[in-house]
Amino acid sequence: MDLSPIQKDLASKCYSAVADTCDDLMLKLASRGIRYQDEWPFAIHLLGHVFANDLNSARFLWKSIPLEIKESRPEIVAVWKIGQCLWTRDYAGVYDAIRGFDWSAEITAMVVAFSENYTKKMFQMLNSAYSTISVTDVAHFLGMSEDRAIDYALQHGWKLDSSCKMVIVKKPKTVTERKLDPSKLQRLTEYVFHLEH
Amino acid sequence: MESIEVLVAHIQGLSRSPDEVSHLHSLLKQSEDALRSHAARLAPFLSQLDPSIHTLGYLFLLEAYSSGSISGEEASGFLLTVVEFINSCSAEQIQLAPEKFISVCKSFKDQVMQLGVPMQGIAPLWMAVRKLQTSTEQLTTLHSDYLLLCLLAKCYKAGLSILDDDIFEVDHPRDHFLYCYYGGMINIGLKRFEKALACLHNVVTAPMTTLNAICVEAYKKYILVSLILNGQVPSFPKYTSSAAHRNLKNYTQPYVDLANFYASGKFSELEACIQTNQEKFLSDSNLGLVKQVLSSLYKRNIQRLTQTYLTLSLQDIANVAQLNNPKEAEMHVLQMIQDGEIFATINQKDGMVSFHEDPEQYKSCGMTEHIDFSIQRLMALSKKLSSLDDNLSCDPQYLSKVGKERQKFDFDEFDSVSHKFM
Repeated sequence: MDLSPIQKDLASKCYSAVADTCDDLMLKLASRGIRYQDEWPFAIHLLGHVFANDLNSARFLWKSIPLEIKESRPEIVAVWKIGQCLWTRDYAGVYDAIRGFDWSAEITAMVVAFSENYTKKMFQMLNSAYSTISVTDVAHFLGMSEDRAIDYALQHGWKLDSSCKMVIVKKPKTVTERKLDPSKLQRLTEYVFHLEH
Repeated sequence: MESIEVLVAHIQGLSRSPDEVSHLHSLLKQSEDALRSHAARLAPFLSQLDPSIHTLGYLFLLEAYSSGSISGEEASGFLLTVVEFINSCSAEQIQLAPEKFISVCKSFKDQVMQLGVPMQGIAPLWMAVRKLQTSTEQLTTLHSDYLLLCLLAKCYKAGLSILDDDIFEVDHPRDHFLYCYYGGMINIGLKRFEKALACLHNVVTAPMTTLNAICVEAYKKYILVSLILNGQVPSFPKYTSSAAHRNLKNYTQPYVDLANFYASGKFSELEACIQTNQEKFLSDSNLGLVKQVLSSLYKRNIQRLTQTYLTLSLQDIANVAQLNNPKEAEMHVLQMIQDGEIFATINQKDGMVSFHEDPEQYKSCGMTEHIDFSIQRLMALSKKLSSLDDNLSCDPQYLSKVGKERQKFDFDEFDSVSHKFM
């Protein structure tokens, strides 16, 4: 079975493309009536969907994996655990699921990349949703020890109120581009022309 | 059998140029009955032909073969033959006999479903749709078959590549009903509720003289998705057929009741209604959606709060939304902020939530691009509508009808209709 397109994506660290590559290849193999399930890299396929935050596709893929394969390959179950925690919004559970398994060499780099991405996303979420938040909760959401969490927060400009163990969130200044260019003028002309006729 | 061999020789000889192919086409049409009568024995002849060059001939033989009964052992061989054919056939030759191609693909789909391997059919049917279509704006009978296989194989994402095309030409109303209904189901599976609503809306408001089962099922899902998305079910638009308008609610009473209880905002009443009608929802395979409606009630109640309060304590939110404690309320609010359903900030120190206005000022480059894109699409749609309108006003049937009704109106009012059509 030629799995080179998937290997290529993994080698070039295009993790967000892995899910689509896997989907297309799987449908192609299925159309030839090949029994691909035994050799198919389900763990990487599942993680691809999780990486792209497409939990619906991850769920459907999990449902379609035959039971014998789920039972004989614990890595697939471990990846699914991550997906499950994301689905049930068990924010801290995701970190436990990532750390609680000895990943194979093939998939380790992708898991690490996902973990870093997830921490960043969690931090952005906290930024947008909280004005003050307890240190315990920050540690919980970022999957770090309380001290590390405080350091991380202070690095990003948050302030610590040590009396009540709360961190005060500082929202980053978002710079949104507002420059206009001449092509917009052309488009505006087209709109007016269209509306007049 | 002799005639088949002669036919195969013709196919091999007459597939080079378009003229030869149209000659071949008439020969093949004359031999249809002969082919059908020898359906079971056609398989070896297929191997003498190349599907990419001898597409038309191959198609006729394959269609005749598939119209006969295919035994269990032959089935997987048949599937592989069809897959090979679809992948290598020439689209121009297919266009000469589209009904035969559709018939082959339908037999393929039936076999795939019978053998319980819907996933095997997805990639080939996608290719078949693309080769059958004269443009991506045309809806073919195969569209709904493709979506059905995606649904059965639970490869919902695969359905999107076809679903995201804008359709402007529909040949058969039944295709349209099925396509939009399955499209709605795929979008529901992927939680793209706005798109699902649009698809289901198309089924419910399609022109029809009598109600059909697809429309009834679509309306049930329409109610549920409307509740999840908007918290209410809109009334029928003006262009809904009277058949739908008058009869749909009679066939979907449990769902209409559900919508009424939802409007009251009381969790316990809604739960009771769901319990009473559980059998019905289960048999309609809508129980999953109904449960999503139930959990959306929390969100609806919290969203209502944003319209009245600027700040509110987590305890109060828990009370109003009938949650157990402030921590649960905090998690719900966090989820809604994450999903972009409300704009708020949680202050854990004071246990308060402040609600904000939508911070989007529609001034950024990204938003301008988005608006531009939407306007371009609208302009293209508007042009299409005007050309459709122009075509219609030149249609002789339309003109004769307008001309006949002319006697009712003053001569001055409809001067544009030519006297010729009176």
